[in-house]
Amino acid sequence: MVEQFPILIELCPLFGAILIAILGFRMPKLCYPITVLAMALSCAAAIGTFMMMLASPSGTVIYDLSGWGRVNDTAISIEYRVDALSALMLVLISSVAFLNVIYSKVRVAQETPSKIPHFYILYLLLVAGLEGITITNDAFNLYVLVEISSLTGYALIAIGSKRAVISSFNYVIMGTIGASFFLLGVGYLYIKTGTLNMSDIRSIMEAIPDDSKAIKVGFMLIMIGVWVKMAFFPLHGWLPNAYAYAPTATGALMAPLVTKVMIYIMIRMMLSVFGPEYVYETLGWTDVVVTLSTIAIVAGSFFALSRSDLRKMLTYIIVAEVGYMVGGAWLANSQGMTGAIYHLLSDALMTFCLFMVVGIVVSRTGDPKLTAFQGLYRKMPITMVGFTIAALSMIGLPPTCGFFSKWYLLRGGIEAGQYHYVGALLFSSLVNAVLFFRLIEMAYYHGAHAHGEPIRDEDHEQYRMHGADPDSQPKETLANAPWSMLGPMLVVAIGLIALGVFNSTVTEWIGQVVANLNVLEGAN
Amino acid sequence: MAPMKIVALITVIITGGLLLYATGDFPAWGDPLSPANNSALSRHYIEQSRVETAVPNLVTAVLADYRGYDTMFETVVVFVAGLAILAVLGQGTSRERAAIQRSAERYQERDMINIMTARLIVPVLQLFSLYVLAHGHYSPGGGFQGGVMFGASFILIALAGGLPEALSRLSIPGALLLAGLGVLLYGGTGLVCMMLGQNFLDYHILHRLLPATDAVMARYHAMLIVEIGVAFTVTAIMFIIYAALSSRGRMTGGL
Repeated sequence: MVEQFPILIELCPLFGAILIAILGFRMPKLCYPITVLAMALSCAAAIGTFMMMLASPSGTVIYDLSGWGRVNDTAISIEYRVDALSALMLVLISSVAFLNVIYSKVRVAQETPSKIPHFYILYLLLVAGLEGITITNDAFNLYVLVEISSLTGYALIAIGSKRAVISSFNYVIMGTIGASFFLLGVGYLYIKTGTLNMSDIRSIMEAIPDDSKAIKVGFMLIMIGVWVKMAFFPLHGWLPNAYAYAPTATGALMAPLVTKVMIYIMIRMMLSVFGPEYVYETLGWTDVVVTLSTIAIVAGSFFALSRSDLRKMLTYIIVAEVGYMVGGAWLANSQGMTGAIYHLLSDALMTFCLFMVVGIVVSRTGDPKLTAFQGLYRKMPITMVGFTIAALSMIGLPPTCGFFSKWYLLRGGIEAGQYHYVGALLFSSLVNAVLFFRLIEMAYYHGAHAHGEPIRDEDHEQYRMHGADPDSQPKETLANAPWSMLGPMLVVAIGLIALGVFNSTVTEWIGQVVANLNVLEGAN
Repeated sequence: MAPMKIVALITVIITGGLLLYATGDFPAWGDPLSPANNSALSRHYIEQSRVETAVPNLVTAVLADYRGYDTMFETVVVFVAGLAILAVLGQGTSRERAAIQRSAERYQERDMINIMTARLIVPVLQLFSLYVLAHGHYSPGGGFQGGVMFGASFILIALAGGLPEALSRLSIPGALLLAGLGVLLYGGTGLVCMMLGQNFLDYHILHRLLPATDAVMARYHAMLIVEIGVAFTVTAIMFIIYAALSSRGRMTGGL
């Protein structure tokens, strides 16, 4: 049983979705408990896999699907490979998805009452896709799972309001372009190596001359593909609207996870398929990509500063944070890569926490603008505790995890001599400080905006544009957000601090993956 | 030209140039020694798949066994596509079902020639699709192709006799159930392998359950089972997509 943990991570949401497809349309009440159970089991299996990884002497866990194993040292079927990086991602994805199911119960019933089974099936399959991406060691299987997570993501966004449908359509176009680029790149790798297993591609590629044009273009196509999918500036156009107009539960799942998983693919391709020597030395593109990410950080921060809609502001912060991680991964030293992976984890939790807070605030006050925060410390103290912790982490103050991951990124930037990237990181922290202290100040000092009273007409109009029905919002019960929403949010807030306090343990795990980068540095 | 069009043109030219640039590095067309033809992996499939699975059609062996896990998720992709369309366009509430009933009455009088032709073709089409499904082990075919043809037979009914006519044979909830069962049949086969103590989708252990088979023939038969699962899902989703798109989600009238 124990050795089946890696596949169980994937099978729990998959079979949960099938079960809902068969039972849920007749008995919609069953959807929620099935989803919670499937996600809880998946989360447990992910933690079990993590323990297996720690216990294994090589630091990796291999699982053969179809049981063919390796013949003559070639994988002839699809295999799973879990190392420290994928194990951390698996625990992250499954726990975020689990907490979000609990959080979403009330909102799903309010926002999409007639589509509850659809929502939960798509939700479970999206999670299965994301988990599969992080665990698989097969380049084409990865593409199939990217396909699953994209398709379910489009539908989960479009299930909401009219505006969401249009933004989802934008996302479909951009996402399909990105996925096609990625597939083409994988095809080029197959033409040159004759295998799809990532470890085998790596070992065969070592024998191919470094100046192979097809591999160079293949790498370029794969990178462009994942950059589109992760909304790396200037390829970010689809993201803000898609995440801002999505139903609350969708936004809170996709905003923290989808872009991060795409960054995971980029790092996996760089470290495990092409290898750091090839990416950093043979190609020599590090300066260009780090400069691009500097631009992404600065531009994302500027856009975030100029938005008055809460969710829009958060989505532009995501665009800036993507720049952090791409830049960190391309600094070509282990500090930068450690920072990028660490930030992957902490940014996912921060974004998750902020989206949950905004979901609660918007649903309670009926105001999607920054002004919704006026006087909230008195009215919604528990929500604001979570918000404050997440905001401090976004700005990068200790002891939250945002400080430590940014610390590694800064050190990596200085070590690599990329001072414009360091400057952009500091600038963006400053912008985050302005953005969040503005909200904190508003929430702390500004008294009663007319929250208890009927909402003014223009607010009403504004809210209607966002597709929800303002009349269904209980304005009077501002303070009593249900515990099913507050509980998960507080858990994540505590997680933000825990991930910071235990930073030495986390970086030790990450160190197992980036160890081969140190070899590279030693050689220089 | 609008500035965006110029940007688009430049992007397309650069992308095309990149592709041409890489093509120069490709192995020669049909080269038996190219990596894709001559890698340890391809050689193993070509030389061993018949021995290991007893399936003469190499493509089916790779698709349904060696890379069966991918195919399971491809089936899930098909399932998701249909479900996503229903989720976005909406589907049968009781009010809509009543509307279907009304429009069914309106469509009573359809063109006789269309209906009679469909009546002739549909049974043949369905029988042939079952043949394509079952013969996938020996010739081009299998679950996806067979499923598409079976789904097409329902679409033909809808084209000839109106959507309500087709819905009276395969309702949307029924089709969704069928699609779910298809994925269940595929995943469940893998799960049974796990319950018998092997890895997911390791079919050879199924010889304990299937009478008169050995470990090799168990793979052969299991491949047919999962192909049937694929066919269920593809049939149902083909029809769902047609029904939802042709009637804009209202499930009445249609084309």
